[in-house]
Amino acid sequence: MAPPPNEDNSISHDSSDDQHRPISTIVIIIAMQTEALPLVNAFELTQDTNPIFPKGTPWVRYYGSYRALNVNIIWPGKDAVLGVDSVGTISASLVTYAAIQTLQPDLIINTGTAGGFKAKGACIGDVYVASEVAFHDRRIPIPVFDLYGVGLRQGCSTPNLVKELDFKVGKLSTGDSLDMTPQDEASILANDAVIKDMEGAAVAYVSDLLKVPVMFVKAVTDIVDGDKPTSEEFLQNLSAVTIALGKAVTHVVDYISGKSLSDL
Amino acid sequence: MGPVLTPHCERRVRQIRSSNFHSFLPPPDYQRGKMTDTPPSTTTTTDPIHTEDENNSNQEIVSAVSSSDNHISTIVIIIAMQTEALPLVDTFKLTEDRNSPFPKGTPWVRYYGSYKGLSVNILWPGKDAALGVDSVGTVSASLVTYAAIQALHPDLVINAGTSGGFKAKGACIGDVYVASEVAFHDRRIPIPVFDLYGVGVRQGFSTPNLLKELNLKVGKLSTGDSLDMTPLDEASIVANDATVKDMEGAAVAYVADLLKVPAIFVKAVTDIIDGDKPTSEEFLQNLTAVTVALDKTVARVVDYISGKSISEL
Repeated sequence: MAPPPNEDNSISHDSSDDQHRPISTIVIIIAMQTEALPLVNAFELTQDTNPIFPKGTPWVRYYGSYRALNVNIIWPGKDAVLGVDSVGTISASLVTYAAIQTLQPDLIINTGTAGGFKAKGACIGDVYVASEVAFHDRRIPIPVFDLYGVGLRQGCSTPNLVKELDFKVGKLSTGDSLDMTPQDEASILANDAVIKDMEGAAVAYVSDLLKVPVMFVKAVTDIVDGDKPTSEEFLQNLSAVTIALGKAVTHVVDYISGKSLSDL
Repeated sequence: MGPVLTPHCERRVRQIRSSNFHSFLPPPDYQRGKMTDTPPSTTTTTDPIHTEDENNSNQEIVSAVSSSDNHISTIVIIIAMQTEALPLVDTFKLTEDRNSPFPKGTPWVRYYGSYKGLSVNILWPGKDAALGVDSVGTVSASLVTYAAIQALHPDLVINAGTSGGFKAKGACIGDVYVASEVAFHDRRIPIPVFDLYGVGVRQGFSTPNLLKELNLKVGKLSTGDSLDMTPLDEASIVANDATVKDMEGAAVAYVADLLKVPAIFVKAVTDIIDGDKPTSEEFLQNLTAVTVALDKTVARVVDYISGKSISEL
């Protein structure tokens, strides 16, 4: 159980305690319902019908107890007007912020599908843990603002988990477009990324602001530097890869159960 | 004495009954200008002159009218850069809120005070903790808009700041625009319907009287997280039919729309995008001077708002 907030609504971060206390509450941020539902089933979570998020926000919380963990899957929901999943960095940052505020997790896991670069060794169906995340579509060519735009951050260190579950590790690059312009590509190369998504670096930003450890588990649905058009390949592989992703994240949560952050 | 409907109220009642205006009304449980969760008190009166039925329906109408026809009380002005914000903080004589209503760790700064009967709040997303630069861009803007609406329950959000302008669409350095419409130009998702979601076009809240009275230019605003502009960005901006280009507007619009708070966008042109000079150079050169022009306009907007209801704008 996370410690209750102080009177001024800050959360005590005695980091040495936090690191060694068993992880109790986790929040899993998943952008698309297709990606989320296999995991909701695997953990036997229920949809929270009580409005823990403000009226008007489409965000959905699935929750339950699983192997002594309070597991929450947060999905940003369908756009109220257009009916599609609320993908992208803005929704992801808002939902991460709101979930941390309400649920005070010990750990955030951002999981979902990603494009992969075969030149960096990625294959369809691969599951990566991100060592690092950065934006590739926020170019501000003024000194220091440029770094702010890239927003490079580390995923929380999980060497034992990665070794035990035999995950690939690579750098993740985030942008709000499914496609990739030459400028985006140049930025992704500069980020030295092997995988590309639409939420990671935004989740990282908010988690960093509020000092909650965060890890990224991403499964490859399409090869960005391959022959097929991204949207086609993505849609073709989404269901199958989502199942693989669900299995991988289940292993992650199983591994986490009973451990502290420093054990990971 | 029971509820007597003035001509203005009668007009308002007709508007409420007409479905076109429902989108302008805040939801029934929306707290106007209050920081507590207590529901607004409804007007209950007895009126010996009207029949009971008429009285009840008038009570409902008056409640609806009084809760939606009040003068604007609380405004939140979202400004991305401190350089843009401080002249306005001075003009309105605001003070920095040392007891931040926001969680520890967030760099967001609230300046607040009373000005011409309004509770005015300027929200600046603050300096990045690691890098020390203003927290510009859509992610910060959406977070600070969300947090400000939650904490302060404004009647109106104003997103003010600098922008690039297209001379081909008539923009000049120093011009101040109110956005008729905002959209993103750097969220390309080439799957049906997701593409529209990415563009995220939304209307600025309609303020015909304000525009006329202050003689402000009107144009469409396009938002993206980059200061520069790639050919593909340019194509999207042209598709958005934008006159001005910024880094926050459409994100503020998204959150304001989620939470059903009216939002307007006031943007001053620091650089000509389809001109000769490189953007970052021109922007930095003109930032200070154009900020002064921006803040004069925003002050006039707030002066205009003072004492009016949302429907009078």
